[in-house]
Amino acid sequence: MTQLFDQFYNFVGTDINHFPIFAIVTLFLGAFIIAIVGKLNKTLRNVIVFIVTIIPFLLMLSLIKPIMIDGGVINYWMGNWAPVGEWAIGIGLEVDALSLFFGLIVTLAVFIVAIYSFTYMNRDSSLENYYTLFLMLSGALLGLVLTGDLFNIFVMIEIMTMTEVALTAFRVDYDGALEGAMKYMVVGSLGSSTVLVGIAMLYSQLHTLNLAQIAASLPSHQNAVTAAAFAFLFIGFASKAFLFPFHPLEADVNAVAPASISMIISGVITKCGVYAIIRICYILFQNIELPAVSISVTLLGAVSCFICVTMAFNQHNFRRLLAYHSISQIGYVIMAVGLGSMFGLEAGLFHAVNHTLFKGLLFLTAGAVQYATGSADLDKLGGLVKKMPQTCALFLIGAASISGLPPFNGFASKWMIYQSVFEKASETGNFVYVIVVVVCLLCSVLTLASFIKVAQSVFFGQLNPEFNKPEVHEVPVVMQIPMWILAGLCVLFGVFPNFIQKYFLTPAATAAFNVTNYIDTMLGQGTAAKAGIQQTEIGTVSSIGCWQPVSWLWLLLIITCAVCLIAVLGSNDNKKHATALNAEEKVSDLVGVKQSGAGRLNNVAADASLKGVASDHLLSDQELIIISRDRTIEDEVLAGEDPKYENFFSGEKSEFSQVGGSDLFWGFKHDMRHYFNFQKDWHSGNVNDYTTYGVAAIAVTLVLAILFL
Amino acid sequence: MSFDILWFAFHILIFPGLLFIVVMGVLLMGINNKMVARMQNRVGPPILQPWYDFLKCCGKETIIPRRAQKFVFIGAPILGFAVLITAALFIPFGGSSVLSSTGDIVVILYLLTFCSVMSIVGAAASGSPYAGVGLSREMVAMIAYELPFVLVLLAVGKLAGSDSAQGVTFSLATITEWQTAHLPVICHISMIPAAIAMLFVIPCEIGMHPFDIAEAETELCEGTLTEYSGAPLGVYKLTHCVKVYVMTALFTALFMGGITTGMVVVDVLIKILVCLVVTFLSMTLPHAVCARFKVEQVFKFYWTFVSALALISLVLVWIGL
Repeated sequence: MTQLFDQFYNFVGTDINHFPIFAIVTLFLGAFIIAIVGKLNKTLRNVIVFIVTIIPFLLMLSLIKPIMIDGGVINYWMGNWAPVGEWAIGIGLEVDALSLFFGLIVTLAVFIVAIYSFTYMNRDSSLENYYTLFLMLSGALLGLVLTGDLFNIFVMIEIMTMTEVALTAFRVDYDGALEGAMKYMVVGSLGSSTVLVGIAMLYSQLHTLNLAQIAASLPSHQNAVTAAAFAFLFIGFASKAFLFPFHPLEADVNAVAPASISMIISGVITKCGVYAIIRICYILFQNIELPAVSISVTLLGAVSCFICVTMAFNQHNFRRLLAYHSISQIGYVIMAVGLGSMFGLEAGLFHAVNHTLFKGLLFLTAGAVQYATGSADLDKLGGLVKKMPQTCALFLIGAASISGLPPFNGFASKWMIYQSVFEKASETGNFVYVIVVVVCLLCSVLTLASFIKVAQSVFFGQLNPEFNKPEVHEVPVVMQIPMWILAGLCVLFGVFPNFIQKYFLTPAATAAFNVTNYIDTMLGQGTAAKAGIQQTEIGTVSSIGCWQPVSWLWLLLIITCAVCLIAVLGSNDNKKHATALNAEEKVSDLVGVKQSGAGRLNNVAADASLKGVASDHLLSDQELIIISRDRTIEDEVLAGEDPKYENFFSGEKSEFSQVGGSDLFWGFKHDMRHYFNFQKDWHSGNVNDYTTYGVAAIAVTLVLAILFL
Repeated sequence: MSFDILWFAFHILIFPGLLFIVVMGVLLMGINNKMVARMQNRVGPPILQPWYDFLKCCGKETIIPRRAQKFVFIGAPILGFAVLITAALFIPFGGSSVLSSTGDIVVILYLLTFCSVMSIVGAAASGSPYAGVGLSREMVAMIAYELPFVLVLLAVGKLAGSDSAQGVTFSLATITEWQTAHLPVICHISMIPAAIAMLFVIPCEIGMHPFDIAEAETELCEGTLTEYSGAPLGVYKLTHCVKVYVMTALFTALFMGGITTGMVVVDVLIKILVCLVVTFLSMTLPHAVCARFKVEQVFKFYWTFVSALALISLVLVWIGL
């Protein structure tokens, strides 16, 4: 096997330097080819999409050895415009381990989404437009993480934003699709223009756009203008990662975009924002070590995390809820990135890739539910586990991962984040970090709570009669395969975090700290030393290291088996059990009619008695409603078995409700009602407000940057 | 080599593993019930009643409701029990723990959460509206006690990690060593609020009487357990008992660990005694004295009063008292 690899790398030789540009060009080329031939033949179109999405992924995989393992950096001057003197004139690609790490995330997600889209989108028309836009978007995303040129980043962001707007509105007939796209266009343009202003300011000071050259000359040119440029760039990229206060936008967009695009938005576009933030903080300005920057970035993450996870409590739409959770998890990532420690960055990167996996999985399951039932309304869905067992299992894996339950990947990365934040807290003695740890742990529980709400109101609970028909069934295998891939990766990353850390996280984090190497590869050896940039001490990862679950996972498995055995031996044998059930069914069939009649009387009496109890405030009114409404459903189901009884209770039929949805956490919400009302007020859904928040964020960041940098 | 494996198996299965954990759980639960009864001037059930309950449940027929998702419905209690036993193996009890890692506090925290989640998932799978309401209450209770619990763990970790290079520890082994070198954590004045907070966290985590909003028999017909019968119900009951042991042992390890006399038997007896005292303080007293709280009361109580206690300790430890 190794021989095969060696042969491959020998064969490729220095041509491997062309791989990054090949990957980007393949995607853009694919977009143009689809635009031309996509209309002709559906199979041809799908084959082309498959090929042009798998090639970049394979190219990125083949770069793992030279970059991640051997620690090299690939630089590529487009059109062979190599630097003259020390001035970089042309556009250069520079792929270090950090870029490659995000490149892998992008290409994997794009490949998976492409497979998923084949079936998921098959009910829509003019799909050649969808795939053209999708491939353009993918190319822009890949270009953004691989490029070594600041202006190129802006160009890619522009392509990304505009294709994204079009894709959001792709299903124009959806309620709010156009509105979501319009909001994204306005706020997204605000973010892009902010980036452009930042770039212009930097250019006015340094007269270059090459990342490596900026990094080399910035330390000797620190002034108020570069500080302002930092503020503009930071807030621009933060808007691309939908951090607070840009988070309402993501919810509005994700609720209406096709699920496949939702996965790209929350799984990849936000990651590109995170990548850009890491790039400017660690390489370009090298200011993450400053306490002011570190604390503000960490706090920004913590605030995003908390606000979004509480916002998710109020949601009735499956995908809006997921969107808020997405930002909450990005909050975790930014929190860890802001620490500025080696271990913190590793934790952040790990959570970033895990977020792509589990959030992608969750969005795809949401898409599957919508595909099967045509609804994403948590108050209407329910009991789908009988109809879609596989999707339910996939959802549970995703939910367990995002809530950070062991042994899934979310636990491994969140665990690293807690460790790194607390480590930082003890190092600096700053109490802010302790608060951040508490927020982290609390948000984890809140995430869990809100996913239990989803599980209860979509998959468990009672089946809505509206969906109790043969058309509602499990999604096709082609849609399941991508989800199973993601689920499998979720488990693998959770069980073998050491492997991931060794081969992916440590190289990527080292690259982010290794500024000299980044500059020298691009502009020739010794440039960094001449510019007075010292080789930074690359911090060692503390002895805490990674979480090693394998040993006791075996134990858990053994105990589970043992308990299963005891339970099987201890309980009655199945045969008897089955007959008992059959007998029960027969009896219930026989007395079915009587039961539903008499049951109703009983229920009336029981309702009265329940109300009696409620008057002592033991059961809340809301819970009472839940129970009595569910009884109505039960009656309806019974009545449904015997059409004779349908006539009597038609009035209630439209009033379908069930345990779950918004009612689940009324106790929590009641105590926090002031907070929730406040939140509801300012998440107005009004694009003018969103823009105001954005402008306010720019102003605040600007003031902070000029004061502290 | 083979002897090592046997020894490991002994640790897992007999002491301080499965057998010991279950026996301790049943005994603590039984004694708790008895003490509550005595305080209310009743005779009370025999001490082994939880065990009789379990045996009887196992002998009964298991009825699976037609609406239930069978696999999850049966699997959830079993997995919950297994997870809880695994969590228990991380806790040192008169000697070192069977399993240990550098971050076992976080692992225990998550495994306990996982155990509660399993009861919630099982309830959700049963499809009963009563279970639905019960699980929502269980979840609210979980959010309620998790905040003070985390604060307590951080405070202890910070205090016991003050000797180490990182300044904080998430390892129970380190905490125990620190307590052997210094005094037990509870002997530090600054930690007394945290200990009180932890005493409040225990009954809510287990779901004991004044905080058993999720199982409220009179309102919700046992809430999450409504549809359960037979062996799965028995496993739930046993899980409940084991949780009593896990939480009291965790309290012992966190606040009164590191007391050694050199003899394992004496150590274990001391620990059992401490567990009994903790059970009395945190479960028996509130149970005998208080009526059940309302959902929103539990939430408010934990996020204000109990969290404040834990936060006081954390701040005091942080500024070096």
